[in-house]
Amino acid sequence: MGDNHITNAIRRLRFEHGEMTQQALAERIGVTRQTVNAIEQGKYSPSLEVAFKISAVFGQPLEAVFHYQPDAASTGV
Amino acid sequence: MSFREKSDWLSFASLCLLGIYFFEIGRGVVMGGQGGGPYYYFTLFWVLVGALLVIQVVTHTVLAMRSPRDAKMPVDERERLIHLRATPPAYFLLLVGAFLTIGTMHMGFSVWQFAHCILFVIWVAELLRYGMRLFYYRRAV
Repeated sequence: MGDNHITNAIRRLRFEHGEMTQQALAERIGVTRQTVNAIEQGKYSPSLEVAFKISAVFGQPLEAVFHYQPDAASTGV
Repeated sequence: MSFREKSDWLSFASLCLLGIYFFEIGRGVVMGGQGGGPYYYFTLFWVLVGALLVIQVVTHTVLAMRSPRDAKMPVDERERLIHLRATPPAYFLLLVGAFLTIGTMHMGFSVWQFAHCILFVIWVAELLRYGMRLFYYRRAV
């Protein structure tokens, strides 16, 4: 889980949404602040449900919040 | 630090208290059964279990009063994953310990010693389970 290829724009989006705190985001999506922090740092990949909830909070499509960057080995390139 | 991580630290620390009992048991075995009186171990065990319960209840109550919002929050998916990942190593240790304990039947262990071997294995497995949880909490996974 810790070594994943999923990056996200949560920190930027929080800043753009009135400097929303991690605690405020956590309360809106029903997880702990520590979980939001772990997601933001890329140490934990959230479930689809939580990912959609985060996207909904920021009013963005999922792909605008989360980005998957596969390495060459996994794509066979 | 989340409420559940603090709770796990408290559980881990209070479980360590039972180490006093196993230390005394070990000391008694080394001294050839001269470690204490007939009710010494019985009393020590229940005093420590009582202390463990009191410490757990009091510290968790204080913790919940200090951060009631965190305490009421249900376990989220990351915490559930941490709990799930922490269990297999402890379960493996419990299995290995159980089989090793069965092995003591051929070493002339008494029923009393046999029971304490099982208790010891359960205690170590629980310590490992909480230790692994704390490890994953610290790694933020």
